Amino acid sequence: MIRKRRRSFSVVIVLAVLTLVISACGGNSANNNSTENSNKGSNVTNTGTANSGDAATDTSTDASQPKDGGNLIVAVGADPDVLNPIYAGDRVSLTIDQALYAPLFQINNGKKTYYLADSLTPSADNLTYTLKLKSGLTWHDGQPLTADDVVFTFDKILDKNQNSFFRDYLVFGDKQVQVTKVDDLTVEFKLPQVNPAFEATLVQLTPIPKHIFEKEADIQKSTKNAAPVGSGPFKFKEYKTGEYVTLERFDNYFEGKPHLDSITYRVAKDTNAANLALQNGEINVKYLDPQDVSTIEGTGKFDILPYAEGRLSYLAFNENSDIGVLKKKEVRQAISYALNREEVIQAAYASPDYADQAHSVLTPDTLYHTNDVTSFDNDVAKAKELLQQAGVSNLKLRFIVTSGNKVQEAVSLYVQQKLKDVGIDVQLQSLDASAFGAKAYDPKATDFDLFVGGYIMGSDPDAYSVLFTSNGAYNSFHYGNTEADGLWKQGSTEADTTKRGEVYKKIQEIIAGDAPIYPIGYTKTIVAFDKQFGGVDEAVLKPVVIFEDPAKLYLK
Amino acid sequence: MRQLIARRLLQTIPMLFFVSIVCFGMIKLAPGDPVLNFVTPNMHPDDIERVRHNLGLDQPAYIQYFHWLKECLTGNLGYSLINHKPVLGQILERLPATAGLVGISIALAVVLAIPFGLLAGAYRNRWVDKLVNLLAYIGISIPLFWLGILFMYFFALKVHWLPSMGMRTIGKESVLDVIKHGILPCSVLTISFLSSYVRYIRSSTIGQLKEDYVQIQYAFGSNQTAILFRHVTKHVLLPVITLLGLSMAELVAGAIITETVFTWPGIGSLTVTAAKGMDYPIIMGVTLFSALMLMLGNLAADLLYSVADPRIKQTR
Repeated sequence: MIRKRRRSFSVVIVLAVLTLVISACGGNSANNNSTENSNKGSNVTNTGTANSGDAATDTSTDASQPKDGGNLIVAVGADPDVLNPIYAGDRVSLTIDQALYAPLFQINNGKKTYYLADSLTPSADNLTYTLKLKSGLTWHDGQPLTADDVVFTFDKILDKNQNSFFRDYLVFGDKQVQVTKVDDLTVEFKLPQVNPAFEATLVQLTPIPKHIFEKEADIQKSTKNAAPVGSGPFKFKEYKTGEYVTLERFDNYFEGKPHLDSITYRVAKDTNAANLALQNGEINVKYLDPQDVSTIEGTGKFDILPYAEGRLSYLAFNENSDIGVLKKKEVRQAISYALNREEVIQAAYASPDYADQAHSVLTPDTLYHTNDVTSFDNDVAKAKELLQQAGVSNLKLRFIVTSGNKVQEAVSLYVQQKLKDVGIDVQLQSLDASAFGAKAYDPKATDFDLFVGGYIMGSDPDAYSVLFTSNGAYNSFHYGNTEADGLWKQGSTEADTTKRGEVYKKIQEIIAGDAPIYPIGYTKTIVAFDKQFGGVDEAVLKPVVIFEDPAKLYLK
Repeated sequence: MRQLIARRLLQTIPMLFFVSIVCFGMIKLAPGDPVLNFVTPNMHPDDIERVRHNLGLDQPAYIQYFHWLKECLTGNLGYSLINHKPVLGQILERLPATAGLVGISIALAVVLAIPFGLLAGAYRNRWVDKLVNLLAYIGISIPLFWLGILFMYFFALKVHWLPSMGMRTIGKESVLDVIKHGILPCSVLTISFLSSYVRYIRSSTIGQLKEDYVQIQYAFGSNQTAILFRHVTKHVLLPVITLLGLSMAELVAGAIITETVFTWPGIGSLTVTAAKGMDYPIIMGVTLFSALMLMLGNLAADLLYSVADPRIKQTR
């Protein structure tokens, strides 16, 4: 009996060890797609605490000079959806694609930097844009990158069967942009109508290799996306689903060999756990919540880098709500007067360092932005007066909040408390993220009044029209002003920059005065950056993707 | 025996069908829209509709279900709405990680739960029993994510014995490295399984000690340790088989929190991502897989039962 029992325990233990061994050997091997490794200097095992030790020694010898080598580990919140820039819309895919695929050019804080492109020249009538590529460009597999690739990419984006979410960027009314090859290094874009925002559109569209995808019927589902061939400073090395994506240095990068051997994007879903991994040296770069800054700063191992993301955080009024009163401008203005922007920012972002006070609906990185508009600074007496004028008393408002969202919860509690002072009762309704999204952005939803939202719309003001025109596809506030509608239309086709600037300044003032939203702050993203590494200034911190040019990062 | 297996396997078909209908219905009733994952503010409503149409999400729910079922019957569980990879491939890709983690945790929990449960049952209301009970209650009531963070904080950050997250050191392929990464998540899961197993075995032991065969052994002068480990264990192991059968469902669902906290790349973390993105083909796939595992686990438990105790076989 005893022998039998021992045998059964042994079987259990052997099975347990076997399952672990199977999991170790079999785990995600399907996605372990390595491209040809020609990088002799690559050292992706030089990570974590070991890396910390090595680097610390290096730093003591010479901290000022960039060194070649090292692996930078960047924490990402999820797996990338798809490593193909014509489909990438999520933050993780966009971040990885930034290192994997070189863009044509970039615009960051109003500064244009050319990458694959050598120049972009609009015609005198602003209807044709001529793009010149740099010569000698290559894809990671050594094939030349030419105008054919650019034309192919745009054709595929425009092809309805390919399901690219960027198609609409290239369609005006019902007419498409015509993209034609002039010679191997020149592409011409013919626009059906003048569109001053076209440059901002091109910034977001990155070429994919024709020779890889031309025979693929459905690029979105193509297995080729699992081993992407790009043109950026780092090439694909391996992807372990649920764990990490590693890119290694591309020696033939047209801007010169990057310093780092590799960059790894490590999936870290739980924020608290990821913060511990950061402190433990298992991660070198990570987004931080304002509440976590002091803990990470306290380790002395990280530079804390707050930078503007071109994002506006706002309190929205649902003018479509069934209580009706939010249609009245005076009520929205009264609520705005009841709040103190400085206090809202303190409550939501812990410090004014992490959000600049916002008055305009356009963010500071957007062309023609001005914060010099009506701002409804805190004035309780004025708020009460406006409510009285509007004939509103005993008002009850429903504030929907995403449960677990620290910012939304903090703002809602603050608003609830402040509106009590002007006689408005705010009821908080906590919803999970899906339910919140479905309700807040449902054009027909009438059963709530307030919510906190945010947007990043890019550098051209025309992009904002979808939010604030009467028929705007994303006008969740149900705001409408015929004068502003006309100006939005005018601004989208006005080629004269002075006139265009005046149009958008007028729009900002009209919207600020109508108060369809209460702009809270132009929020900043906070990144913790391991002090063992340098080159952040040259790499340029960029909204959504962290670094504009990761090739410039180096081990100190 | 063969008839039993065949009958039970046949029974799984309507059960899975029922599970699929309930799961699909619940997904459709839940608020949210998977298309919202792809929407950027620059997208024209026509383009959003085109995406919705291409994904078949503009069809009535019952048509979507029948379409899914039709594909499912041909062995195709569909494609993820988020990353467009085949669902079955993603489940199979993640399965080894979860199977390893949960398998070893269950095995450890059983190995530890038997002596603790037996001792607690045998020394009922004595200090051993009270201590085991207290620890089991703590184990059951402690939130797993908190325990995970606590372990990470101590073992990874404070004493630097173990890595805090992931399944391997980046770029390193070694079983030892995986084992090292697995220790913390495995410990957390083991504690969670162990706590409930101990309570179960304790109750079972108390019941067995009242049985005639135990009294006869006492009358023959056998000592308590011998009675416990030679005779009672055999009877206590029978309900453990049931527990193991039920634990098969944990292969899919049980490790959700642990996998998320420790970034363990298994089915649990896949499920969390799918649920957040309303990725219903993945949710359906994982649910069906989980249900199938539970049914097969129960069948295996029943078969083991009849092998372990022939009386059960005869009553069938």
